[in-house]
Amino acid sequence: MYKTLKLILSALFPSWRFFDVIAPSPRIEFTVLKTANSSPDHWQEFRPRPIQLSFFEMLKRMFWNPQRNENLFLVSCAERIMSEPTDQSIQEITRRIETELSASHNEFVEESYLQFRLVFLYREDTQIKNQIMFLSSISKMDGA
Amino acid sequence: MNFDDALRLTEILLAFALVQHSVEHVFSAKSERYLFITRMLLSGLLALGIGTTWVCSALAVLSLLILRWFHGPYNGGSDRMSLLILWCLTFAHLMPTLQLKEYVFGYLAIQLLLSYFISGWVKIVNPDWRNGRALQDVFQFSTYPASEQLRSFANYPRLLFCASWSVMIFELLFPLTVITQTTLIIGLTVAALFHLANACLFGLNRFFWIWLTAYPSLIWLHARIFEI
Repeated sequence: MYKTLKLILSALFPSWRFFDVIAPSPRIEFTVLKTANSSPDHWQEFRPRPIQLSFFEMLKRMFWNPQRNENLFLVSCAERIMSEPTDQSIQEITRRIETELSASHNEFVEESYLQFRLVFLYREDTQIKNQIMFLSSISKMDGA
Repeated sequence: MNFDDALRLTEILLAFALVQHSVEHVFSAKSERYLFITRMLLSGLLALGIGTTWVCSALAVLSLLILRWFHGPYNGGSDRMSLLILWCLTFAHLMPTLQLKEYVFGYLAIQLLLSYFISGWVKIVNPDWRNGRALQDVFQFSTYPASEQLRSFANYPRLLFCASWSVMIFELLFPLTVITQTTLIIGLTVAALFHLANACLFGLNRFFWIWLTAYPSLIWLHARIFEI
């Protein structure tokens, strides 16, 4: 309850510090494993952004933009994992990867295991670098 | 715009924004859908102006449950603005006198002004924003660009330098637009176009609709202060 009160107070007395600094930027990458002991050899970015968007697509997204807004929520979860790790943030990411995988490869998912990692991109002088900052534990996919 | 009209218009715009947010969750696999179906129904009543005080209060309580569900705002700044508008409307309805109602609604207008001014201030004190590097970083490696093609803007540092200063100057000068009604309307139009650009470039569509929702409060406050 204290945390909820703190959250609502931060909305009623907002700081409005949008884009004050461009912080390291997280990417979520996942791998599907055959067993809980397998070593990951292929990491894939979760929901990479589209190569390009048409004007019509941009217009549509003004009214209907669920995946993009969910991706922004997942960025918040990734940032929360780094600042104050909670199971809830980890589960939010895991659940969405599982749901999307099971929707596209149902038979493949049921006996598989999932692991994700957070890769943060940042600028050092003029170079863009990346660093793996978090590796989740391996979890069995339930095909949900 | 008088107080009642401004309050009513804000309610209608908020109802639209909340329905738009909620629909995105209705097809969710988890039981969060029930929270958002309830919010959609309450937003419908709000749009129709039925039992507004109770509906706003119920939506405010529901907003706490949604905050708890996601352990924070679902979409950062835009959700914070939704909460601010909703709670200001709720308090405005609950206040016993017109003067107190006006103070609460005026607070929303002041926060709208501050949302631009403070955003401009925190940028201009940062050397990376002053030399255009920050906006280049946004396009080059941040999660914000809505498509990969948009990352190519990072290759135009002069353009981004000009864009950075345009944004900072506009945000810092925004409070001065309240000098006359004409300048205020121009200022709000430019601000809406700014949010539209952010929605197209960065996929931040919720910001566009929810910031527009707060505009009637500022139009009313301007009329209240300068035209009486």
